[in-house]
Amino acid sequence: MSEDETTFSEREEIEMLLPWYVGGTLDATDRDRVERYLAHHPEVRRQLDLIREERHETIMANEALPTTPAGALDRLLASLPVDRPHLWRRLLDGEGLRAVALLFSQSAPRSVRFAAYVAAVLLLAQGVAIGAFMLKANDGAYQTAAGRDGSAGGPSFFIAFTDAASSAAVTGLLQDVDARIVDGPKPGGIYRIQLRTGEASPSAEEALRRRLAERRDVVRLVLPAKE
Amino acid sequence: MQKAQDAQLITRIAAQDQAALRGLYARHQARVFRFLLRLVRQEAIAEELTNEVFMEAWRHAASFEGKSSAATWLLSIAHHRAVSSLRRRREQSWNEEEAAEIADAEDDPEVQLQKTDKASLLRRCLEALSPEHREVIDLVYYHEMSIGEVSSIVGIPESTVKTRMFYARKRMSELLKTAGVDRGWP
Repeated sequence: MSEDETTFSEREEIEMLLPWYVGGTLDATDRDRVERYLAHHPEVRRQLDLIREERHETIMANEALPTTPAGALDRLLASLPVDRPHLWRRLLDGEGLRAVALLFSQSAPRSVRFAAYVAAVLLLAQGVAIGAFMLKANDGAYQTAAGRDGSAGGPSFFIAFTDAASSAAVTGLLQDVDARIVDGPKPGGIYRIQLRTGEASPSAEEALRRRLAERRDVVRLVLPAKE
Repeated sequence: MQKAQDAQLITRIAAQDQAALRGLYARHQARVFRFLLRLVRQEAIAEELTNEVFMEAWRHAASFEGKSSAATWLLSIAHHRAVSSLRRRREQSWNEEEAAEIADAEDDPEVQLQKTDKASLLRRCLEALSPEHREVIDLVYYHEMSIGEVSSIVGIPESTVKTRMFYARKRMSELLKTAGVDRGWP
């Protein structure tokens, strides 16, 4: 017999709704129907305990499962057919930052562990990137790590944002200093930002760098990016 | 709030924004992977199918209309991927999987002890359900999906969702009874 061919009693019809009633996902009409029935048939309330028991064990069984293995996201991204120019245009508009902030916005323990793992990897990569940057700056053969974009406009900086920085906070900060993201994210979550205004004196540039660095709630790292 | 953020990410994915896909993945990978793992039971296959789900989201984000939540949309893709995978593998029939035995004469004392614990028994009974019964139980109890959402994910009428859940619970009670636990229902 198929699942739909049986005629059910009123009690059975109510019993069918109880899992959703317990979970709070029943619509108002069905919820009222269940509550009216339970008021007249208190013996059916025992079912609610059985359902809570089933629900609890189902949640436990699922929560005991792992999440995707490390590297799964990289494998996915590597297999994507990417429309590069379009993607870069969007990143250059600064929208990519929102996803970075979202990556750290989950609160489930496994997600937090995953985010911590990603953050650790990013910090390691950042150390390598900064080291390479300093070496190049010292040997006189400096070349920007972020590429050659953004040659027009004002001074530029390499910047990394804190894990807790919301996309709104990042956008607000960029608006405050009238800057835009011209490149990134690079390994270590480093972006290159550039002021929209023209050239600034070295002292004005250093003052701006300090102003950015003081925003520790949003900025993790900021360095001048000389051409 | 969550729904609005997901919709925003999907809109950006439709514009081929890889960072948005990272965001959507970070938010939903655990849910999708566990849903698939419970159905296909092998981590490597569940990972492969999870990637297929997000790949499909990447390709078809423009068709997401926002009528359902992102979770419902992704689990719907995952459901179809799992069904295809199970049929392809022919390791178990989607509709006719035999329930595993709860009692096993070869069990060691520790396992026997676990079997006397009602919670452990209940979990073993959940595992012993057919994939379609296990799926509806997971969707309702773990993923907290409404009747309409389950209907949309599994692709069956709402009336069938209710009866399937009803029979899944009945089957679980029967398995518990076989193992010596009478819940007094049905």
